[in-house]
Amino acid sequence: MRPIIGITTYVESASWLVWRDLPTALIPQAYVQAVTLAGGRAVLLPPDDLDADVLRTLDALVLSGGADLGPDLYGAQREPLTDSRPQRDAGEMLLARAALAADLPILGVCRGMQLLAVAAGGRLYQHLPDVVGHEKHRPAPGVYGEHQPSFVPGSRIAALMGDDLGVHCYHHQGVADAGTLAVTGRTADGVIEAVEDPARKFVLGVQWHPEVVTDQRLFGALVRAAG
Amino acid sequence: MRRPLIGLTAYAEQVQYGSNDLLAGMLPMTYVRAVHATGGRAVLITPDEPGTDVLESLDGIVFAGGNDIDPAYWGAERHPATEIDVARDTSELMLMRAALELDLPILGVCRGMQVMAVAAGGSLHQHLPDLIGSRRHQAAAGTDPLAADAAAYGRHDVVSKPGSMAHELLGARLTVNSFHHQAVDDPGRLAVTGWCPDDRVIEIIEDPDRAFVLGVQWHPERTADLRTFAALAEAAARRAGIAEPASLAA
Repeated sequence: MRPIIGITTYVESASWLVWRDLPTALIPQAYVQAVTLAGGRAVLLPPDDLDADVLRTLDALVLSGGADLGPDLYGAQREPLTDSRPQRDAGEMLLARAALAADLPILGVCRGMQLLAVAAGGRLYQHLPDVVGHEKHRPAPGVYGEHQPSFVPGSRIAALMGDDLGVHCYHHQGVADAGTLAVTGRTADGVIEAVEDPARKFVLGVQWHPEVVTDQRLFGALVRAAG
Repeated sequence: MRRPLIGLTAYAEQVQYGSNDLLAGMLPMTYVRAVHATGGRAVLITPDEPGTDVLESLDGIVFAGGNDIDPAYWGAERHPATEIDVARDTSELMLMRAALELDLPILGVCRGMQVMAVAAGGSLHQHLPDLIGSRRHQAAAGTDPLAADAAAYGRHDVVSKPGSMAHELLGARLTVNSFHHQAVDDPGRLAVTGWCPDDRVIEIIEDPDRAFVLGVQWHPERTADLRTFAALAEAAARRAGIAEPASLAA
């Protein structure tokens, strides 16, 4: 039996085939493809804030990207450009905290990395262009920013990325404080691009989108840790 | 408190949301809410890699609505109005056959009921308007089926067979929504236990030899009547050996 990898879903008003603007649980299929290629069996986790009991049946967790976190999760005032989905926040925070406590392998992608940082006691910048003075982490709607972060020698992410450092960024928020997590990657402008918990079996957050290139380095490592 | 884990078959579809237009695994939130409101925990299963190992982790499964099934599965020619998704057919028929084999509690909704019939050796009518000369099962009068929302659903009664699980669960007669142009013709080895009284179109099938196998042709998740989902959750909880799940909504 393949390892079961849970992937948190977005909740968006969506249109497809004959249907228009229906509230939908969805995940870009790239995430599912990345997990399947790596030998895992993907199941999608629509939001549910009752409990984190579903983790019992999972071998690993992918905290997916998507909308901004609600700033109430880290005790901050909402800034004008923060675009959150309250339906996702409480349930995903429950999952993140419970997965950390259970030492379940976790890969956080973009929003998912930010969620890990906040779950570990950290906080976010709500609009990076205000902090770094440029928009290269989200150049234009639908356009990824291509970067080459530096990774801390000896870190998990450094070992996984090897010599190919190119990543695809699409975020306007960022981690200001990673709480108890170790920062193991940054772009030249100082923006945190990777966090890890070396005390746990496999906890890795990346600010970029590895699923758009079906990155088997990262998803493969997660599925191996799950197996 | 442990809740029964209910899998829901999901689409892999080109979807538009915000400024995005991409292929996504997805399912309307109405299904998710129906499972959560009746005491289950929902997970979605996309048709990415046909395989049945995921069933071992589930306490119950819902086969959701969607496109038509390839009539090649029962050796028929394709009707011009039939629109199929090969990956979804392959994955769901494999999952349905395995779920039946495992005696996993199963609820089939709309297409899901049709998958159930085909997996059990049955066949479908591919275009009801040709058969019954009416669009009552497909769309409300005056709506454009190509711009569907909740208001576009048809509406009709269903009568159930005395002594069946459907009769015990839903009563002798109920009014349901309707949005389908295909229907079960031959239910294979399953029992037919509900019909539309206006035209005898099959609306409910069940497997009396299994713990809980129920197919309904309408969309209960789009209504306030979640008895079908509650019954699935109870069967799933029994299978999992946990207490009857508490319904979160009456």
